[in-house]
Amino acid sequence: MSTRKVGFAPARVASAIKTLFLLVLFILYMFPFFMVVLNSLKRDTEVISSPIAPPSSIYWENYRMAFEKMKFMRAFGNSLIITTASVAAIVLLSSMCAHYLVRNKTKLSTFLYLTMVAAMIIPFQAIMIPLLKIYGSIGMLNNRWVLVFMYIGFGAPFAIFLFHGFIKVIPRELEEAAIIDGCGRYAVFFKIILPLLQPVIMTVVILDVLWIWNDFLLPSLVLLNQASRTLPLSTYYFYGTYTVNYGCLLASLVMTMVPVIIMYMFSQRFILKGIIAGAIK
Amino acid sequence: MVRHRKLGERIGTFFMFAGPTTLIFTVVMVLPFLYGIFLTFTDWDGQANSFAFVGFQNYRIALFDPVFWTSLWLTLRYAIVGVFLTNAVAFFLAYILTSGVKASGFFRAGFFTPNLIGGIVLGFVWQFIFSRVFPQIGRAMGWTLFSTSWLSDPNKAFWALVIVTVWQYSGYMMVIYIAGLVSVPGELLEAASIEGAGSWAKLRRIILPLIRPSVIVCFFLTIQRCFMVYDLNLSLTNGGPYRSTTLISMNVYQTAFLSRQYGPGQAEAIFLFFVVAGVSLAQVYFGKRKEVEM
Amino acid sequence: MTRKRVVAMLLILSLFSFSAFADVHITLLNTKAEIQAQLEDVAKVFSAESAGITLEIQPVQASESPFQALSTLYASGNAPSLAMMDPADIPLFAEKFLDLRNEKWVKDSTDDFEAVKTKSGAIMAFPLTVEGYGLIYNKAVLAKAGVDPTKIHTTAALEEAFQKIQASGVDALIIAPMDWSLAAHFLGVAYSVTARNQAGLESFIADLKAGRADVSKNKAFVGLLDTFDVMKKYNAGKSDPLAITLDECPALLGRGKVGFYFMGDWAWPALSSFASDQNGFGFIPVPLSNNASDFDNSGIPVGVTKYIGIDKMQNTPEQQAAARAFLDWLVYSKSGQNALVNTCSIIPAFRNIMLSPTTPHPLSESIRAYVAQKNTLFWVSIPAPDHWSKVGASMQKYLAGKIDRRRLYAEINDFWKSTK
Repeated sequence: MSTRKVGFAPARVASAIKTLFLLVLFILYMFPFFMVVLNSLKRDTEVISSPIAPPSSIYWENYRMAFEKMKFMRAFGNSLIITTASVAAIVLLSSMCAHYLVRNKTKLSTFLYLTMVAAMIIPFQAIMIPLLKIYGSIGMLNNRWVLVFMYIGFGAPFAIFLFHGFIKVIPRELEEAAIIDGCGRYAVFFKIILPLLQPVIMTVVILDVLWIWNDFLLPSLVLLNQASRTLPLSTYYFYGTYTVNYGCLLASLVMTMVPVIIMYMFSQRFILKGIIAGAIK
Repeated sequence: MVRHRKLGERIGTFFMFAGPTTLIFTVVMVLPFLYGIFLTFTDWDGQANSFAFVGFQNYRIALFDPVFWTSLWLTLRYAIVGVFLTNAVAFFLAYILTSGVKASGFFRAGFFTPNLIGGIVLGFVWQFIFSRVFPQIGRAMGWTLFSTSWLSDPNKAFWALVIVTVWQYSGYMMVIYIAGLVSVPGELLEAASIEGAGSWAKLRRIILPLIRPSVIVCFFLTIQRCFMVYDLNLSLTNGGPYRSTTLISMNVYQTAFLSRQYGPGQAEAIFLFFVVAGVSLAQVYFGKRKEVEM
Repeated sequence: MTRKRVVAMLLILSLFSFSAFADVHITLLNTKAEIQAQLEDVAKVFSAESAGITLEIQPVQASESPFQALSTLYASGNAPSLAMMDPADIPLFAEKFLDLRNEKWVKDSTDDFEAVKTKSGAIMAFPLTVEGYGLIYNKAVLAKAGVDPTKIHTTAALEEAFQKIQASGVDALIIAPMDWSLAAHFLGVAYSVTARNQAGLESFIADLKAGRADVSKNKAFVGLLDTFDVMKKYNAGKSDPLAITLDECPALLGRGKVGFYFMGDWAWPALSSFASDQNGFGFIPVPLSNNASDFDNSGIPVGVTKYIGIDKMQNTPEQQAAARAFLDWLVYSKSGQNALVNTCSIIPAFRNIMLSPTTPHPLSESIRAYVAQKNTLFWVSIPAPDHWSKVGASMQKYLAGKIDRRRLYAEINDFWKSTK
């Protein structure tokens, strides 16, 4: 940070003003969240009549109803399984693929790499209709694992791009030395390369978790029975089907947001670092 | 070492390391994309199992549909406003946060929070705010601008979308800008101060050029996200009032799944792909040309 | 007597044959959001009574049309065993549905099945609900204002009624601004009066698509929209008509804060939760002209509004059989009939169901009265999947005063001319 050349007093005042300003902005930013939480504790009629006032009495029933009706635990579990499986698979498979592409410079591998990078630009909408037609006609939809499979396909290009840049920097000699010592290919990869990739893995994990956990459109087209719904889907369908009770609806929103906020509070540093790293590449 | 390996072994390695990913990528992205292009030349209606080749008819239907152009134009306006406002706010926040403020870590984490939440939930949160909270405040304070729900007027609904988009992404971009600003060498700024440069001059002459990579990245990301927005559109306005805020992604979805015009829908999607790809690549290209090397 | 025994035997036999298989899981796509909770209860009862079958109810978004929902499901290989659809959608899925012409309940039905018959005479779906719509009125509010609902047969009389109600200190009516309500139901009256029956509808639509018909020159449309203008004038929500939510409307009518509400009898569950007098409501027709003797000013559209088709493409034979068993159960078993009449508050389309509702359902009674007096109009199911969304948007613009009547006519005409 640049140091101040001017005297201390004005600097402190300036700093205090800035902090105050930021505080005001911060409150504005948090206002929607605050409103939602506040109103989730009120009865439906009170939400409609006085949305700004604090609740006359705290009404936990909203949460109980929402929890039950949107099958929160089940949706949460689905989101957890799908996100974890997808991200783990993306990290593992993409790193291996990137490693191969870097260490085996053939026409094919260069072509493959360029195709993947180019694919990052393709918007999902251009693929969703034919994707449904192909997978639908072979009866492969409505399955969590197919969704994971698709996430791997969609997440691979960016992950490979990130890994590629990182692996390029790792000296070849390191691997060759290990091979001379008698290490097999796989051992070399898992014992030497992977640990070195930790920072990039962190970045990929963070970006992909944020993406997949909150994803709506793809799961809405692929996961069609209620039992396999993820949290965003569950929230959306809950909102559309039971449009009777505002307090209850808001409670469902709060519950959907809580897991992410909790995770954020614990890993906030990592997340922000990951975002930056991802952007720089 | 690599050269002496047997062909069989090399193929084996390929399949083990790169195989799964390549296969999945091909089957999930490449194949559908190519098939999608193929489909735009047929008259598949989404149900039947047979279809006939119809040349450019789908493109004609899609591109001559005034609704498509209205939606595209709307999305363009939304993207331009959204990208600039988001980046302006983000940069502004980043600038303040990196100018020696207490508890900057807290603020940084705080402003980023909206980005953690998915578009669907954000949309519902703000739908509640715009349709229930603001009107109450507006009526109580006598502010006509807020007395009615913003979501029942096309212009206000447009701005509602913009506001929520800025709110959602400014934190994310702010973080990137902070990283960029932090990497500006302090000595340069000090030297400039010694030479008598004021804050504004420092900003224009030193900081902005040096954070160009961050700017390029942020613009790229926001352009992509604004053009492809769907979740937020769905939950905040659902294209309303009376279909006046149906952005292009939603339009593609509706053409295909609501109006059952799969061929034209896919044609719209392909066209959209070219537009987004073109804009993104152009933005990166022109941005990089002016990049200042350290 | 014998018939009952045969039915009982059939049921028992079918139960036996089903218990031979491991739990057959079938799904019903429910496109009537207002009975989602009730149907889930019905599913529980059915699953409990039918060994080896579990029924799951799949909801659809309020903002999604039945057609959209089902096409997506078929496209992704997840077709439900039973799909509850609007009559106009059934022919679009005809090649995917089971032919039900030999089902027992066909003969017991009051429906003519015209809307769901194929050219070869196959019957593609089961009639689930008989419904009607019109202007629902609150008896107490009207009584206090000195309005006699049975005497309203002209637009002028309707306006007079609105004025009287307003004078008595209550808002005259509330208009629900939902696109589907305005386009499919309200405008539906005009389509119905023009078409008169299924064949008439098909030819009218064909004329619209070819540009031979012009709604601005159509007496029914003009008259209906004139009435709509009167409704707009006295709309309780007129300061911000599009901000009214669907839930507010039955609340207002039920609590006596407005006198009228245009909706169908499916609004009863919501309405009854707000009503102090459970019997205090009824329907009057939407007048289309100032000529009291016009037939159309005395009747409300009544018809089968939802049909259930059974999928034969993506469901196994066991699932199809289980689905057919469910439909039989609805018509012939005590608990099934109870499910229809009492749990879901549905007017069934079957002669044999003699069950009367145990709880009051004044809207059904009102409909039955119109049916008895033969004062019903043909129920129109509009054969274009996006009519409700696109023409609905036009109606909303008109409601909010963003476009004038000429523009509305033009948009409706243009919609048909550009639809395949």
